[in-house]
Amino acid sequence: MISFDVKLDRNGFSLDVAGEFSDGITAIFGPSGAGKSSLLSCLAGSIRPTSGYVDLDEHTLYSSEQKIWVPTEKRRIGTVYQDGALFPHLNVRRNIEFGWKLLDPADRRLVPLDIAEFLGLGHLLDRKPNELSGGERQRVAIARALATSPQLLLLDEPLASLDAARRGSILNYLKRVHAEFGIPMVYVSHSISEVVSIASKAMLLRDGKVEGFDRPSALLLRAAAAGGDIDSFENILDGVIGESTDQLTTVKIGEVEISTRHQNKNPGETVVVSLGANQIILAADRPTNISARNIFGGRVSEVWSKQGKVFAEVDAGEKFIVELTENALNELGISVGSDVFLVFKSSSVEVFDA
Amino acid sequence: MNSDISIVGLSLQIALVATGVTLPLGMLIAWLLVRKQFRGKFALDVIVSLPLALPPVVVGYALLWVVGTNGWIGQLSESLFGTTLAFTWIAAALAAAIVSLPLVVRSFSAALAGVDPRLETAARGLGAGPVRTFFTITLPLAYRGVIAGVLLGFVRALSEFGATIVVAGNIPGRTQTVPSAIFTRISAGDTDAAWRLALVSVVLGVAALAIHNWLLKRSANGIESSKGSKR
Repeated sequence: MISFDVKLDRNGFSLDVAGEFSDGITAIFGPSGAGKSSLLSCLAGSIRPTSGYVDLDEHTLYSSEQKIWVPTEKRRIGTVYQDGALFPHLNVRRNIEFGWKLLDPADRRLVPLDIAEFLGLGHLLDRKPNELSGGERQRVAIARALATSPQLLLLDEPLASLDAARRGSILNYLKRVHAEFGIPMVYVSHSISEVVSIASKAMLLRDGKVEGFDRPSALLLRAAAAGGDIDSFENILDGVIGESTDQLTTVKIGEVEISTRHQNKNPGETVVVSLGANQIILAADRPTNISARNIFGGRVSEVWSKQGKVFAEVDAGEKFIVELTENALNELGISVGSDVFLVFKSSSVEVFDA
Repeated sequence: MNSDISIVGLSLQIALVATGVTLPLGMLIAWLLVRKQFRGKFALDVIVSLPLALPPVVVGYALLWVVGTNGWIGQLSESLFGTTLAFTWIAAALAAAIVSLPLVVRSFSAALAGVDPRLETAARGLGAGPVRTFFTITLPLAYRGVIAGVLLGFVRALSEFGATIVVAGNIPGRTQTVPSAIFTRISAGDTDAAWRLALVSVVLGVAALAIHNWLLKRSANGIESSKGSKR
């Protein structure tokens, strides 16, 4: 658990943020310039705050009052940067082992090669960073941070320099890393879609101040007001390939089986599915004689509306976020608890390798 | 002929010692100028660069004043060794170091500025202290510029004349370097002997530049070949 209250005045920018993050995955999000990366640097110890404190698992890392400052190299915090920040002169193996070698042998809880295997890097160990794809680079960066057995993993926009297909994959790896190693994570992003997909709690920052700290989906509209990019909100979900016909492939997402365009994949393969919130139609009654291949019954679990913009969260065995207009909401009489049907085309679903 | 060899030997000795001074000192100053914000940064930059803008004779005169009987270094060495450094080969090495320092600092600064500071932040975050980060990340990545700077400084030290002759004189067998010997021989009208040493200067300069290029090429090849074999 990390708890902090940091104030930072730097080059005309001021940050004043307090919070307490539990052992799950917590997101910090908000528009660029909100202070996300500065806050992360204060936690990691690469920037010294003007005043305040940072506590990690009963250890005080920084306290202006007690005059405590643990330098960044003594903190057991791993950081993954936007473009990986891999050491270009070292191969993958030596990048991953860099921090591990500096650990006291008693603290070496994880074996670098096991981590490399877990992240699918086993065949890349002798490569240099400039011979890797963007997704591979990020996985090396994650492995490098993990190898130091950190008490906390900070992720600074780890998907920002990747294309859509790689994003889902890295997101999926991060979830598996969290499940496997149980290391608390702080995930910084300006994308609410990523945040909703990965985090259990999210802190919304704006102009260096906390705007909200809540379930990520509940922050959707506030994120919009804060200038976050939510026009293109994507439901990012983990799935498994099912049966295929000539034209369609089924993907199982938890209890739900959705139809997608034909995928050249084998049954049982894990994938990441992306479905735009504005691609889903809500119906009050089960539509018949309709070309859309996906129709699921569900119950509205939450509705957020602001200035004509409405997002509804529908639980259809798996939670989907749907964007609709205030007009439609009122006409259909949808509110929390309403039974509705989700309708979307198989071609609206994008399927990526996990 | 014999005296030629000892003149070249002394020149190399002076240039090597000067390089031994400018390498760590230049690295420290370049690192301060590139990575740190502090009061007096501009002043440090100006002081280090000044020998570049002054006639070397002026630098030598200023140095003579510092190491001579009235200067603080002079008084220190007089109380320790009973003599000042003026008109010794050490004074010549000091003069060569001061005159080549701006070139070394400039090369090192460019090399350090080319290293992404986030890589250093990443290394610190992975548990490396500032010194280890410098030697395992910064220096290997700034490698080419550092070599270029060292060789540039060495060549400059080797060809130093103006400051050296003021502070160390032109004493055969003690402080006479290749340039000052050439000067003596030209003044004496001994053109053959002057040309001989001039040729030696050319050979030394070409050799240093060749080593410079060879090292740079080798490091470039290292990156190329590892790329080619894996793709």
